[in-house]
Amino acid sequence: MSRWIVRGLRSGVRTSPFPAREDPEANDAPSAVELDVRGLTARTALAAAEACPTDALVAEGDLRRGRLSFDLGQCILCGRCTRLAPEAFRPVHDPRVAVRARGRLSRRVTWSAGGGPVEEAMELELTGRLRERSFRVFGRSLHIRHVDAGSCNGCESELQLLSSPYYDLARLGLFFTPSPRHADALLVTGVVTRNMEAALQETYAAIPEPRLVVAAGVCAIGGGCFAGGIMTHGPLDRLLPVDVYVPGCPPTPLALLHGLLLAVGKAEERRSASPAPVAGAGRKGEG
Amino acid sequence: MSRLAELAPALGLTPEAGPPGELRAVCASASFTDLAARIAVDAHLSDLFASVNPEGVVLTAVFSLAGDPDWLLLSTLLSGDRFPSLTPRVHAASWYEREIAEMYGLVPEHHPAPVRLRLHDWPEGMPPMRCRLAPGERAPRGERPEVVPEVRGQGVFQLPLGPVRSGPQEAAEFLFNSGGEDLVAVWPRLGYKLRLVERLAEGRPVEAVLALAERLAGTSTFSNGLAFVQAVERAAAVEVPPAARLARTLLNELERLHHHFGAVGRVADATGLLVAAAQYAMLKEEVLRTCAALTGHRYSRGILAPGGLAAPLAAEGMAELAGRLPDWRRRAAGLGALLEDTATFMDRLEGTAVLEPGYAAQHDLVGPIGRSTGVDRDVRRDHPYAAYAELAFEVPTDARGDAEARVRVLLAEIGQSLGIVQQALDRAPAPSAVPPDAPLGAGSALGWAEAPGGETLHFIELDAGGRVRRWRARPPACVNWHPYAHACASGNNLTDYPVIEASFALSHAELDR
Repeated sequence: MSRWIVRGLRSGVRTSPFPAREDPEANDAPSAVELDVRGLTARTALAAAEACPTDALVAEGDLRRGRLSFDLGQCILCGRCTRLAPEAFRPVHDPRVAVRARGRLSRRVTWSAGGGPVEEAMELELTGRLRERSFRVFGRSLHIRHVDAGSCNGCESELQLLSSPYYDLARLGLFFTPSPRHADALLVTGVVTRNMEAALQETYAAIPEPRLVVAAGVCAIGGGCFAGGIMTHGPLDRLLPVDVYVPGCPPTPLALLHGLLLAVGKAEERRSASPAPVAGAGRKGEG
Repeated sequence: MSRLAELAPALGLTPEAGPPGELRAVCASASFTDLAARIAVDAHLSDLFASVNPEGVVLTAVFSLAGDPDWLLLSTLLSGDRFPSLTPRVHAASWYEREIAEMYGLVPEHHPAPVRLRLHDWPEGMPPMRCRLAPGERAPRGERPEVVPEVRGQGVFQLPLGPVRSGPQEAAEFLFNSGGEDLVAVWPRLGYKLRLVERLAEGRPVEAVLALAERLAGTSTFSNGLAFVQAVERAAAVEVPPAARLARTLLNELERLHHHFGAVGRVADATGLLVAAAQYAMLKEEVLRTCAALTGHRYSRGILAPGGLAAPLAAEGMAELAGRLPDWRRRAAGLGALLEDTATFMDRLEGTAVLEPGYAAQHDLVGPIGRSTGVDRDVRRDHPYAAYAELAFEVPTDARGDAEARVRVLLAEIGQSLGIVQQALDRAPAPSAVPPDAPLGAGSALGWAEAPGGETLHFIELDAGGRVRRWRARPPACVNWHPYAHACASGNNLTDYPVIEASFALSHAELDR
């Protein structure tokens, strides 16, 4: 048994410096796709929507007049738009892609005769709990009850790696718990199948308040490529109140860590390179 | 001439050639079961599925024979909703027929246990693969019939575990029946993750279904995507350039590596060998990071395209792989040797959850589970695809069928995979040009790949517009879950259970789909 101890010690410390510092070695995998409106044309908007296998990119109209909606909550990271129109769609290597409000994952762009694509300002949904309260209650330790509501197992594979030496979620005060009675948060992966709905609801009901709900992966956020099936229920937030949405297919381990830290108020949402205009920006209570 | 081609006329069949390597024979519905049973005496039943066309319901059985690179597809058009069950004569047909019955509303007559496989409270009379529902309409909730046998005896205690499990794991329920410490019986109740991907695919373009195939199961993402895209290529008679075939081989093996590292790590975790679990988890993470460096995605999603790859493998990724590979080989070999030398670990595996060779052979098992019971079958060698015919590798087997045999096969496969990756690197797959959009028209074909859990077999029919009319996906877990309950009941105790489950390393998403 001492040989195992020696082997373990010899590996040294491999833990990611995230979130204190960036971790470029972990960021080869993009955590999201970002739309840069300055690089978009009507033509590439229509082509990208045609190529998109889910409802992440949906276009209406034609070259003269139309609209593109981009919903990161449905983006399965297939890479087609980034290859088709790299000047408009870029992979995001920063893992801080989780958000508190569903609307923060959406962008809308319109174009009409005589002008290039212009972004519409979106009403910001005000959902989820206030950051300060989360931090006070859960900032030091968060016990997470995970439920697989019908995933492909990619999300679970990434979640299991959070306990591995590279990520070690316990150092951040995050723990998985087998009992919903001891849990502070429900972390849901997968598309909420018909057969899992009851178990999901019972698990949520068994978690005492205050409790948080995190939707991890686009299956939980919007159904991903399983949206609209006869066996699937649809987005998690139609069943339960969701506090944090972590996009990705699957979300990378650092993106999951960021989502959990966002839920407890120990991290911030990312400011994107070309931020979406927000209707009524500067209103109190945002985020 | 292949042995399957010789076999067919002896049975009164005149097979037509389908895509290369596929022999297709059609028979009358009255003789289907008898013919299938006779072929299955020597051949491996690789799939049995239904599909609906304008004339009615077609049943197709897929066979392969050891040492023969061909596949034989035997189809029949059913007259009516009933057909004589193949299961009394070919036990491996059992779960296929249960799935056909519940999904298509057919009745396999004289099936010994025609209970539901994946449906829970779905109402009767609305077979999910045939029923019409308006967009957004949900079927009402009916009764959930009990599908597992009741165990009775003095002191037998029943404990249901799941579908919400203890850690971040897939959802599945297990009914434990124990007498004291002894594990009398464990029945898996599956289907919690049923998404019905095959129905979602109908009428959709190939690119959309490729995305579905890649997301059928996360830890066999690339293998399922590869099997699907190869079916499309075979249906359209599209040639894949050698460099792309080599790149696909590389990615297929990297997936096997990260899956097997994870699986061995979970066995170590189940026995409390935490350092080993951490060491294997680190290896798995490193393989995933290298896949991301090569393809832009940790699970290599989005890199496949009909005709080749959607983008060349990144040069930086190839350099990273070349740099890491010697270190992985050294660490994997060292860890494997240390595990085999750790008596407290090996003792937990020896004699645990035994699948006797005779029992296993009735189920036509695939992959490492099959190979750990002596089934010497691997589609990389037996039905070569991608660049496997040009590379040197062995297929390890072990005849004992216990948890130790399963883990030894996983460890040996890790070594073999690392060797294949080295050979692929030495041949330096040059960045291949992105293929032009392959013109797709009507056609049908099989596609297959050796996923980490065993062979994954897909079948597609495309319509004239190149859209998917029918997609059948039969990943390895569909076969390998079948003997699980029997293995659990082979004289184990409660504390063995985590070791049993980890040693099988079966995917729920692959079965439930």
